[in-house]
Amino acid sequence: MSVLERPPAPPAAPRRRGDRRFLRALPYLVPAAGLYVAFLVYPMLDAVRLSFFSWNGFRTSEPEFVGLRNYVRMLTNDPVFYTALSNSVIWVVLSLLVPMLLGLLLALALNRRMIGRNLFRSVFYIPAVFASITVAAMWRWIYNPTVGSLNQFLEAVGLASWQQQWLGDPKIALYSVFVASVWQGVGFSLVLFLAGLQQVPAELVDAARVDGANRWQVFKAVTIPALRPTTAVVIILTIINSLKVFDLIVGMTGGGPAQSTQVLALWSYQQSFSNHDFGQGGAIATVLLVLSLCLVVPYLVRTLKAEEH
Amino acid sequence: MSGATILANPAASGGQVAAVPAPPANRPRRDYVSIGLWISLAISALVWALPFVFMFLTSVKSRADVNTAPPWYLPTEWLFSNYADAVDTGNLWVTGANSLLVAVIKVPLGLLLAAAAAYALARLRFRFSKLVLGLLAAGSMVPIQVGLGPLFTTMLSLDLLDTKLGLILPYLAFGIPYQIFMLYGFFRAIPDELEESARIDGASTFRIFWQICLPLAKPALAALFILDFVATWNEYAIAATLLQSQDNWTVPLAVLGFSGQHATDYGPLNAFIIMSAVPVLIVYLMFQRYFVAGAFSGAVKG
Repeated sequence: MSVLERPPAPPAAPRRRGDRRFLRALPYLVPAAGLYVAFLVYPMLDAVRLSFFSWNGFRTSEPEFVGLRNYVRMLTNDPVFYTALSNSVIWVVLSLLVPMLLGLLLALALNRRMIGRNLFRSVFYIPAVFASITVAAMWRWIYNPTVGSLNQFLEAVGLASWQQQWLGDPKIALYSVFVASVWQGVGFSLVLFLAGLQQVPAELVDAARVDGANRWQVFKAVTIPALRPTTAVVIILTIINSLKVFDLIVGMTGGGPAQSTQVLALWSYQQSFSNHDFGQGGAIATVLLVLSLCLVVPYLVRTLKAEEH
Repeated sequence: MSGATILANPAASGGQVAAVPAPPANRPRRDYVSIGLWISLAISALVWALPFVFMFLTSVKSRADVNTAPPWYLPTEWLFSNYADAVDTGNLWVTGANSLLVAVIKVPLGLLLAAAAAYALARLRFRFSKLVLGLLAAGSMVPIQVGLGPLFTTMLSLDLLDTKLGLILPYLAFGIPYQIFMLYGFFRAIPDELEESARIDGASTFRIFWQICLPLAKPALAALFILDFVATWNEYAIAATLLQSQDNWTVPLAVLGFSGQHATDYGPLNAFIIMSAVPVLIVYLMFQRYFVAGAFSGAVKG
């Protein structure tokens, strides 16, 4: 709050002063907020609206109001919805376990001085700058049952019996895709945790060392508490990114085989665009929206409150 | 300068001092731990790099080589012509130019608009600025796919389907909120005294934004620029929904198209995959310092 921009006005008219500030902020705010509302908020709310209509998406036909029928159908007559929902949940849980912990371990290791540290960091991070669709194309080739590197490697080391139809077997396809996402995603949590570790106060570590704490004690008493805000950020971003997963699955399996890799984001898309059912697509999108907001809103409220101080 | 000092604490730039062998005076037990750690890191890094190695080797192999020998064998003949073939069959110049044009317009414009909004929210704080910030930020964290259906019909009715403008507008909308959220923190960190003395000198609100706040946020802007360039170059879902004719495709659509149509030409396919990522790799390597350092430190601060 700057003081000088408004000479000692009596607190009599705070309302009008607030309005003036708002008017001054408007020209800076309007272009960004306008785009945001027109091309992000509006489509999302419109998806919710469409979930109460039956519409094939063609301009020649009018959406017809059907109330909750799309939701009823989604819940009672769409086995793919439950597959997609449980796959999305599996994906979230696995992402919280594997790439996040791996990222933390790597960050702890790479936070020390050592030969080749920058090279290691780059190797783990570079997959994260690749387009997911590119990663999908890479891994589809790695998983190719005949000429792919994975099966050929297994054969070369005498484990030919372990060879699989990695993406063709409904029982394992989801996990095959997930491995590719771990390969790509570790760099993301690695970088966040590295940034967090930079903020662990060195004086505290030194003080603990001087007091005779061993490495494990320092880690438990200093590092872990100092990493708490970082961990909160990584968890929320990991969950959000997991709910968004789309490109990898489109690029590797398209949701197959037999819908075994279907997730909410893709199923909503396919209902709208492949099955020409924008109402069903909207209903699934609404579920996704509500799920995301349930996670995001408390996080944001907390962050913005903390920022106050 | 406090906006800058947040960033002057980069996660990666300290790495130049990497080669510090543990002094021999140390207790030997600690050295074994370090060596073991280093070896396991090196092995993990090798595993992580293998897909790239195989990709490159395959990208210079003939079809016969791919079909008869394992991926880790060297090619009998180094077929760099695969790259030229891939450029032709995959229409890479056209799609690359499309992606570049979209990124060159979208990224700086988006950053400018986000910076202006973040400035308004952070420095011209009005009654509901916190609420507006929260509403903006919430949108950045919701899956894009939720709005794709209606986005398609919106663009259809605006007659912007399958055009670059029709792609840039939603790209701006989806990029801006996150950038506002990040820049808000930087603008808030600028000390009030700086702004006050500028006001005494007669600077207008716009001058304070343009000549004080923006320059102070340069490290954050650089980091966001790179992040946004990479995100824009890699974006698939919106482009797949809104672009139809192949001449308007962006690079990710071309990658998927190529790997669908020429799935058995492994040499050119891998060449194409590699080339599709060259721009982001260049950007990453050039700006690595900012990228790893600044991009997230604002987020982590909370």
